Amino acid sequence: MTSIDLKDLTKEYGGTRAVDRLTLSVEPGRVTGFLGPNGAGKSATMRLVLGLDRATAGTATVGGRPYATLREPLRTVGALLDAQAAHGSRTARDHLRFLAVSNRIPARRVDEVLRDTGLAPAARRRVRTFSLGMRQRLGIAAALLGDPAVLLLDEPVNGLDPEGIVWIRELLRRLAREGRTVLVSSHLMNETATFADHLVVLGRGRLLADLPMRDFLDRHSPARVRVRSGDPARLRAALRAAGHTIADGDDGRLIVHGADAGLVGALAAREGVTVLELADERASLEQAYLALTAEETEYSAAVSAAPTGLQGA
Amino acid sequence: MSVTAVLHSEWIKIRSVRASFGSLVAVLAATLAITVLAFATVGRAEADDGGDPVLRAFYAINFAQIAAVAFGATAVSSEYASGALRVSLAAVPYRDLFYAAKAAILGGSALAVGLVTSFATFFTGQAFLGRYAIGLGEPGALRACAGAGIYLALMALFAAGLTFLLRSAVAVLSLLIPFILIVSFVVGDVAGGIAAYLPDRAGQQVLHQDPVGDVGPWTGLAVTALWAAAALLAGWQAVRRRDA
Repeated sequence: MTSIDLKDLTKEYGGTRAVDRLTLSVEPGRVTGFLGPNGAGKSATMRLVLGLDRATAGTATVGGRPYATLREPLRTVGALLDAQAAHGSRTARDHLRFLAVSNRIPARRVDEVLRDTGLAPAARRRVRTFSLGMRQRLGIAAALLGDPAVLLLDEPVNGLDPEGIVWIRELLRRLAREGRTVLVSSHLMNETATFADHLVVLGRGRLLADLPMRDFLDRHSPARVRVRSGDPARLRAALRAAGHTIADGDDGRLIVHGADAGLVGALAAREGVTVLELADERASLEQAYLALTAEETEYSAAVSAAPTGLQGA
Repeated sequence: MSVTAVLHSEWIKIRSVRASFGSLVAVLAATLAITVLAFATVGRAEADDGGDPVLRAFYAINFAQIAAVAFGATAVSSEYASGALRVSLAAVPYRDLFYAAKAAILGGSALAVGLVTSFATFFTGQAFLGRYAIGLGEPGALRACAGAGIYLALMALFAAGLTFLLRSAVAVLSLLIPFILIVSFVVGDVAGGIAAYLPDRAGQQVLHQDPVGDVGPWTGLAVTALWAAAALLAGWQAVRRRDA
């Protein structure tokens, strides 16, 4: 299987550490969401994996080999780094054609990926006339060209219309189901939550989290339950007696912290209180992410009295 | 990776960007247009005044070299527009192969178009001269035809190497074109000795029937080739070492 493996990967640009001793594996068969604020080192990490930038220290390999030693690399790794990278003067077809030819990818693949990305009608139009969404589709078409086992996509959702967002969501999930390794960076948390199985979170070039999304949510967003009942006062008293913290929601609902629906339901049944509505409230990925970065900020503030404020490229 | 495949890919790149392919076509088109314009109007009058009949036949090469320089610069600068180089190097991560293939295709296509241009210019111009016309049998004429084609290819490669180094066609063109049109022209008449070794002046020795000075026709082309080689070498080091 083809995984992406980083070992102590470090990159400095003019003394600023953009990627800081990153060690992780991106595994096949799932979509790995690559999260972090702007300047966290996501794009730099992708460039290092592709051998475009040279690592200051450490290694990045794809299927155990450095990218630059792959024969016809587009057949193993497909990448979308920047939707603007296709030359405006070329047609979409010519852009894909020179890429296909260089890696001896059959010409029919050009038409296939154009069709798969919905660009077939625009194939002979110059890229300069494309909207951002169409450029994203062209970048994704280029990444899919060699039918690669590994995909690296940097902010592929940017500029896509709602239909395009649904399309890429399904595409990413399908690629992962087919057993491919899919690494997708984004700064849109809630969007990432719709397609990612696994999360890698960077902050200032360092690894903050590398775990399944479910675990990430469990760890960084405490459980809580929303409940509406026929007798809020009695339920509130019972919950309080059981040691729960309760807040008021809207329309007379109660928000119970540190409990799940099963527990609250059982308690209400014992008390004989009618339950009209009962649901676990899962914090969004965005909230979990902000909770993580808040912890991280406190941590770095505690460790270093004078924050350096380094921002990577 | 397959060298042939990478060469083919580089040709598609040149062919599919209007600025680079347009400049390549302009080498021939502009030169023929200028030749027709000049020879149809003042051709015979100039010939009547005497002078070097071979050099006169290649008057329009002055314009061809601008187009050749523009071709070399734009064919490379298309890689430096908004991260295009990253796409290219992701497809062909062997940077030496990438660089060599681009230089080979660029030099090869400039040489082919350059040779067609020089012969076409020669014959087109002479067609207007009536009794003043010279043929390829004229001393120095055949040498000048071949030499002009090689010269145009070398100027394109010189510009290409500089563009890899400076990453901008605008920078290279605003450096080279005034240099070719003004500096070399003025300094050449003033400074004598050293100026004969400037890339354009040295290479143009091959256009003279009887070149004067220290630099012979083929030596002159060799000097231009050294300039081109130096620029390509500098560009190569830049591509190898820089983060893309």
